[in-house]
Amino acid sequence: MPFSLITRERFFGVGLIIPTLLFVSLFAFYPILYSMFLSMHRILLSLPGLGREFVWFDNYIELFHDKVALHSTINTFLFVALTTGFEILFGLVIALVIHERFRGRGLVRAAVLVPWAIPTVVASQMWRFIFNDKYGLVNFIFYGNHVRSYTAWLADPFFAFGAIVIADVWKTSSFAALLILAGLQIIPDDVYEAARIDGASTWQQFTRITLPLIKPALLIALLFRTMDAFRVFDLVYIMTQGGPADSTNVLQFYGYKKMFAEGLMGYGSTISVLVFFLTFTISLLYIRMIGSGLMREEA
Amino acid sequence: MKVDKLMWKSFFLWSLLTLLMLLFPLSSCTNKEHAQKTLKFVTWKPNQPAVWEEIYRIFEEEHPDIHIEREVGPHSSTAFHDLLTQKLKNKSTDVDVFFMDVVWPPEFAAAGWALPLDALFSQDRQEQFLQSTILANTYEDHIYGVPLFIDSGVLYYRKDLLEKYGFNAPETWLEMVSQAQKIVMEESEQGNEIYGFSGQFKQYEGLVCNMMEFIMSNDGSFINNDTGKSNITGERAIEAVRFVRDSLIEKTAPRGVLTYQEPESLDLFIQGKAVFHRNWPYAWEISNNPSKSRVAGKVGIARLPHFEGSQSYAALGGWQLGISTFSEKKELAWKFVEFLTSQRIQKLFAVKSGKAPTWKALYNDEDVLKANPHFKSMKNVFLTAYPRPLTPLYPSISNILQRYFSKAISNTDTDIKKEAEDASQEIDRILSMTQ
Amino acid sequence: MKKILLFVTVGVIVFGSLLPFLWFLDTSLKTEKEITTIPPVLFPSGSTEFYRSSFERYSLLHYVKNSVIVASSTTFVTLALSIFAGYSLSRLRIRYKGLIMGSLLTVSMFPQISIAGPVWRIMQSLNWLNTYQGLIVPYVTLTLPLGVWITASFFKDLPEEIEDAARVDGCGHFQTLFRIMLPLAGPGIFTAAILIFIYAWNEFFFALLIMTEQGVQTLPVGIALFQGQYTMPWGEIAAASTVATVPIVILVFFFQKKIISGLSAGALKG
Repeated sequence: MPFSLITRERFFGVGLIIPTLLFVSLFAFYPILYSMFLSMHRILLSLPGLGREFVWFDNYIELFHDKVALHSTINTFLFVALTTGFEILFGLVIALVIHERFRGRGLVRAAVLVPWAIPTVVASQMWRFIFNDKYGLVNFIFYGNHVRSYTAWLADPFFAFGAIVIADVWKTSSFAALLILAGLQIIPDDVYEAARIDGASTWQQFTRITLPLIKPALLIALLFRTMDAFRVFDLVYIMTQGGPADSTNVLQFYGYKKMFAEGLMGYGSTISVLVFFLTFTISLLYIRMIGSGLMREEA
Repeated sequence: MKVDKLMWKSFFLWSLLTLLMLLFPLSSCTNKEHAQKTLKFVTWKPNQPAVWEEIYRIFEEEHPDIHIEREVGPHSSTAFHDLLTQKLKNKSTDVDVFFMDVVWPPEFAAAGWALPLDALFSQDRQEQFLQSTILANTYEDHIYGVPLFIDSGVLYYRKDLLEKYGFNAPETWLEMVSQAQKIVMEESEQGNEIYGFSGQFKQYEGLVCNMMEFIMSNDGSFINNDTGKSNITGERAIEAVRFVRDSLIEKTAPRGVLTYQEPESLDLFIQGKAVFHRNWPYAWEISNNPSKSRVAGKVGIARLPHFEGSQSYAALGGWQLGISTFSEKKELAWKFVEFLTSQRIQKLFAVKSGKAPTWKALYNDEDVLKANPHFKSMKNVFLTAYPRPLTPLYPSISNILQRYFSKAISNTDTDIKKEAEDASQEIDRILSMTQ
Repeated sequence: MKKILLFVTVGVIVFGSLLPFLWFLDTSLKTEKEITTIPPVLFPSGSTEFYRSSFERYSLLHYVKNSVIVASSTTFVTLALSIFAGYSLSRLRIRYKGLIMGSLLTVSMFPQISIAGPVWRIMQSLNWLNTYQGLIVPYVTLTLPLGVWITASFFKDLPEEIEDAARVDGCGHFQTLFRIMLPLAGPGIFTAAILIFIYAWNEFFFALLIMTEQGVQTLPVGIALFQGQYTMPWGEIAAASTVATVPIVILVFFFQKKIISGLSAGALKG
């Protein structure tokens, strides 16, 4: 054999990765780099006469002073914190429940996946319908036939924000649940058996065995949900369009309006770069703090 | 184990097939012969597709060498805008004729997306159209679109209720509010829960239309025509905004109107839960349709009220046809545009789908008036409908206005004057870029 | 005691998951006037008007077909690539693993609005706008990070001695991967498959931009287009949602069974 075992393995390994890297470089890395490039230009599509000036970091300085952007950033952070927190919590509960063996488990699993099987845009319309102030289900549940007491949920900045959080949590808790379930299934039964024999209570089994062993799964769920939550768009686009009074204006939606609706390609790209860096920083923090061995290289 | 192996094998075979498929495009068959004479028309989904089908058929019968291929976009004006501009900014040759909302021509003109039509759209022909619509399509003395439909804000009201309490259609906003108050109070004593007013106050483009109607009917304006600067800090404008916040939202109209676009606000009215309703002309047909409305036959239509000492203003809406500067079939495109906007076809639209035409003469046409009796009273409204600011940067200005209005009217604590000043500064900054 | 707690929790979960959907189902069986009645009508009149309408006037089946094609193809391709990459990154001795995994992860942080524009332009130049591959390719790109991470972490959990044992038995690299590793990582692969499929099924933004011709539009875009200029056809939307959801749930229901039966993880380490 002209090549050593290790080299052959390396060739094989690299060969397996190349298709993935190709896709990702061309359709993800190139666009984001181009986007960063754009973010340093001043572009007004409807005034092409002004050209595409290279303005270094002017857009970023402007972003720093943009009050609406600040408000959007706060909204986005709040959204991420609330939705991710609830989704992991509910996801854990759901995963634990459907991991148990009982009759009709398959049906329960199917029921749990219904929110997720409905396309986001449809679910958003559905929630908008449910929160409607006149013929919505929520008002009916709370106030019955007393039409006069009906509340306009989506007209109030606080409740409108709550509404999109509820819609998102409803929609994606099962995503977290699936990931956590996969982690739960790896744990062999005998570990619990041994613990039971040793006299451990259910709670102890949960905290001492289950939680540590599903940490990797929890981390993946947390990580991916956070990254998705920072980029929330569909919900806001359909349910509130950023209103009322910008209370549900999240960063990516704000960037969309600047880029696509107002034709400010440069500034819109700046906002999206901000979204990227925020997500990147927070994710890095997660990995540092919870630090599972997932990223460590093999010896 | 054998089943698993088979499963995996077939799985990978599938993936391989899909990957191969990616290399050899399986796009929809494009007939090479048709490619020569196919016109790509970007439009939204029509409310009455049957009429459109008929019209396409007529065109293709009269022009057998041209085939119209439609690309149907989202109906929301803003979504349609974003998709259409995506193509145009990338100089796509895939678009020949497209619809433009009434506020887009300046933007499309300045960006170089809409073809100037002066050579094709003669002065004589222009005069056949409603003046305000021609104005909306003009930018820097050139014409960039041909108006097809016109829209303007009108007031709908419950004829039966106003008659019952001896009222005529209100002339001023204050009159409307007091009429509404009386009716709501009396009706509620009789066990009939009803609201006074319903309009569109969600944070979107429609909000700008609604607010403009209040501001202008108080002698205020968005832009000062002499200085070209923002005028929303003017006393009149602020007064109008204050009126909406303090006398309408939650007082005469339910708080929910802050979440309403056209459909929800109309729903309130046709479910019989609103005395007055502001909307576009399309609502007439729906309110009087017994299969959709609970108040069919009880609906009146009138000019929008105004504030004391001023006059009524309705926001100009409507759709125009433009030709893409990147189109490779401009002459053919014009044939289609000319056809669609001709008197004959506009009449068809008016009679069969109730769309308000832009061809002046049709408002005296017997058939049109028979199918749409309300056009008679609306003609004056159309003649005096007022456009929103005509600037290439209108989307940016609209967003600022939407933000300001939404903040102002949704919160009783908002310092309207301060918000107006902030917004005004932003607007002036944007306007200065176009100088 | 534990049984009661379980029962109650299951009840709450099922109720919470299904209620909005059931309400929409309820709505789809009403008449047009009933839908916006104030206060809302609880029991519909059982009219199938909206189902008929959404199939005939709104070509619902069409959108479902497109979504199925796009979502399945995405799933197959992404899974294939993920299995390759995940295996390589977790079991084989190659360099820069951390860097590669990390960069893949960052792809999931890219905002859609910044990627969409350039991707659209690439598709335009390839003439892939309004084609299935025009959408599948971006979807594969966007789901690869999740796919690779899941398969990698599943492969990683398998005992290290397996490869050595396989080599002793005379298996080459590919054989080891296909015959031994894959079947063992079954649960992870199915999880990844479901997640990828549903992501592609749900995706809206790219679909809206790239698929502008009705013939190839997917379900989310199709349903968003139900909306008229000033009309909101709640009835048709409700009917469409029901039709769109039920087959997916059934599909997923069967895949879930696959995970439970036969491939229980307990057998692995036991």
